[in-house]
Amino acid sequence: MASPIIDASGIVKDYGAVRALHGVSLQIGTGEFVALVGPSGCGKTTLLKILAGFEEPTGGRLEIQGRDMRGVPAASRPTRMVFQKLALFPHKTVAENIGFSLKLQKVGKAEAGGRIRAMLDLMHLKPEYLERYPAQLSGGEQQRVALARALVSQPGVLLLDEPMSALDAKLKKSLQAELKKLHREIGTSFVLVTHDLEEAMMLADRICVMRGGHVVQVGTPADIYYRPANMFVAGFIGETNFLPVTATAAGGGMEVASPLVAAGQTIIAPEHVSPSLSAKGTALLVRPETIRFLKGDAAPGEWLLDGQVEEYFIKGASTQYRIRVRGLDAAVIMDLPGSIVLPAVVGEAVRIGFDPVQAFLLSE
Amino acid sequence: MMSQRMRNALVDTMLVGTVVLLLVFFYAPIATLVAFSFTSSRVLTLPIEGFSLQWYGELFNKPDFLPAVVNSAAVAMVSTVFATVLGTAGAVAWIRYRFRLQGAFRGLTFAPLLFPQLLLGVVMLLWFSVLGSWLGFSTGLVTVIIGHVVYITPFALVVVAVQVYGFDETLEDAARDAGASGWEVFREITFPLLWPGIFSAAIFSFLLSWGNFYVSYSLAGTARTLPIFVYSGIAVGSSPIYPALATINLVPAFLLVIVAEVLRRRALRRQASGISTS
Amino acid sequence: MRIERKSWNDPVLVATVAPLALVMVAFFVVPLLMTVVLTFQTTQFYRLVWTWDLKVWTEVFSKPHYWTIMIRTVTMALICVVLTVLIAFPAAYALATRLKTFKTQIQILIIFAFLTDAVLKTFGWILILDKNGVANWLLMHAGFPPEMLNLLFTPAGTMIGMVYNLVAYPMFTIYLSLVRIDRDLVLAAYDAGASRIRTFFEVTLPLSRPGLYSGAVLVFVLSLGAFLEPKVLGGGTSPLASELIRQSFETRVNWPLGAALTVVLIAIGALMLAACAAFALRRTSTTERPA
Repeated sequence: MASPIIDASGIVKDYGAVRALHGVSLQIGTGEFVALVGPSGCGKTTLLKILAGFEEPTGGRLEIQGRDMRGVPAASRPTRMVFQKLALFPHKTVAENIGFSLKLQKVGKAEAGGRIRAMLDLMHLKPEYLERYPAQLSGGEQQRVALARALVSQPGVLLLDEPMSALDAKLKKSLQAELKKLHREIGTSFVLVTHDLEEAMMLADRICVMRGGHVVQVGTPADIYYRPANMFVAGFIGETNFLPVTATAAGGGMEVASPLVAAGQTIIAPEHVSPSLSAKGTALLVRPETIRFLKGDAAPGEWLLDGQVEEYFIKGASTQYRIRVRGLDAAVIMDLPGSIVLPAVVGEAVRIGFDPVQAFLLSE
Repeated sequence: MMSQRMRNALVDTMLVGTVVLLLVFFYAPIATLVAFSFTSSRVLTLPIEGFSLQWYGELFNKPDFLPAVVNSAAVAMVSTVFATVLGTAGAVAWIRYRFRLQGAFRGLTFAPLLFPQLLLGVVMLLWFSVLGSWLGFSTGLVTVIIGHVVYITPFALVVVAVQVYGFDETLEDAARDAGASGWEVFREITFPLLWPGIFSAAIFSFLLSWGNFYVSYSLAGTARTLPIFVYSGIAVGSSPIYPALATINLVPAFLLVIVAEVLRRRALRRQASGISTS
Repeated sequence: MRIERKSWNDPVLVATVAPLALVMVAFFVVPLLMTVVLTFQTTQFYRLVWTWDLKVWTEVFSKPHYWTIMIRTVTMALICVVLTVLIAFPAAYALATRLKTFKTQIQILIIFAFLTDAVLKTFGWILILDKNGVANWLLMHAGFPPEMLNLLFTPAGTMIGMVYNLVAYPMFTIYLSLVRIDRDLVLAAYDAGASRIRTFFEVTLPLSRPGLYSGAVLVFVLSLGAFLEPKVLGGGTSPLASELIRQSFETRVNWPLGAALTVVLIAIGALMLAACAAFALRRTSTTERPA
């Protein structure tokens, strides 16, 4: 990446005997929206704090806007953070909260007032909120004040620490949309920490999946979804299917076979094979939305499985089926478009099929 | 950068130093007393000559000493019982209930904390004297007990209130769901969970009563508790028996305080981990 | 925390509230009222006589001697407040922010010292502050001239005693306030570009105000009644109101006078409390975020 705004290489962080980050490297471009995703304890929040300057790395190098950040305190960095619990100053008005950084930079009253009002506009907050105190605003409004406070000083990078984890589903959805629009409008680089991969896929240009202090995969949402590095990343976005197969190199790609499947298209093209394929155990990642019930003939090359309907869940826009296939430990999960007519009932013997071209070969 | 780090370290050291100095300040008279209790000379001057335990014996030989101890103990035990029971009831009424006139109740039970002890004693002395002249009794240990209860209950209340605040009532619901009656719920769930706070409050009350001077002095009439004994003694002249008394006081009191605090904190931690975070 | 609404018909409420309320009313409120009533009576030949006049009050307001002492008492109280808060704040701050590992042990040590018999502690101070006492002995061995400090039987000695006995209160209230400050607020200030000192004055100090004010008021009110310190450590050289009150009971057996002086003291304390409460309530914002 040509002159990234954040260039972190080999970041190591130890807390006493515990290593929270094992040599993490990441580059973030100007104007990019990057999400750090992973389960609790993966180190994503630690990395964010290191970017912000609240923690010093034990090892490695961090450059922001080309400057080495070693020893540079948070106050002097071109980053601003939106905290998980917002951390709005309860004893200051909305105007004082937002204008706090401007006051510290000794910006003139007139100019500061203008910039604060511009922020309120940007965040769709009413001007009469200026003199109110945080306790008098709703959760969503407080969110926006926290964003305004961070953006008013025009930082190079905006850091967000799970800002929407405390909100209810509906508020979360609307704020996510607003955040995406905000990013497009102002073009500042955003770094978002979240444990919700769906949220990351919706908002981010690139996603960095972390686990146990390591970076597992960095890529666009499409990369993460359709070409996950391993089963952990593939399974991180809800439930999915892994069909154990044997794989041997053949004809430029991989030839796969499974004892459960009637023969069909068996060659997997290289772009559908994970680059980090190992001998440890290969499986075919089959996304639930790519499987169908077979009522007539199979399509050419389609793989077929026989099983019995174990359960189904009506989710509104989709219906999820769980099929028990002999020889497979886990039930096969199917996601079908929702319909008032159910294609199968519990206990029914069924034949299901999927196109292996839509699958992805990976290892653990 | 370097100077910033050094500046931070300097501030840290100064702050920690303040606490150390404060602790030294707090314990200066206490340490002095303990040191002097072992002197072999009759006079309390430095340097301390010789090491002797004779003053501990002398203390017990003083005729007023044992009666004062008995008085203090009796008063403390009775006051503790009343202050703890009333304080617990008050804490529950403060935190868990909402009722008409609750504000007045809170003011009423909190106000004695804000009163200088002496004035509390004086005010009650006046009342008891007037009552006494009407009904024919005079101040003595009973009035001391009443005075202690009035002064100490707010403290006990605060200690128990902290425990009540962290209490999870859904546990009581679970007990009721399992078929327990009101009394059984209290006996099996509420009281055991509040017990560390109550026990802690009891120990505080005991120590507050044991060491109380102002209220006792005003209300004791001719009877004497230990602090009064010491006060009259110092007025006459210093002697190493008072340091000896101080030292005897210290050890059991210290153990009691530690036990109380440890219990209280352990229980609070257990409560906090039991409540699920939503 | 579930709050149960109760009405006075509920026997549980009555059983819980009534005994304590009755004790307080009978032995706190009524004595207070009786004290006020007594100020309107007089004594003759060491016996209380139930006249109803303002004789004692005219005496109290006319004698400059009483007012000198009252003013001195209030002055000492104010000085005590300033000193205790100055000492307590940094210590409470250190305990809240720097000494988290030892905080339990330190708190136990402080509580224990607080609960120790006041008379004995004051006696310990005599031993320290005396001309031939511990303080001078230490200073002498450090090279200072002998008997340099002469603090016993002076107002300074009284003040040391008062500060000693009361500094635990503001330490406790300030600590409680400080510990409730959300650490993220400090980080947010740093994030906005504030230095540590700036953050202290913009965030930490304002949010510790409740503890500061309640501690200060507590010290003021409690120091009005200081008795041991001025008598024992001060040697009775500059008597305070407490001494005056004691005298009117013990030596002069003039109850109405003692009652009146007590009422004056209580009134001063109550006025200060009310002023601070009004001041605190005037702040329109809550300092609590909604859950």
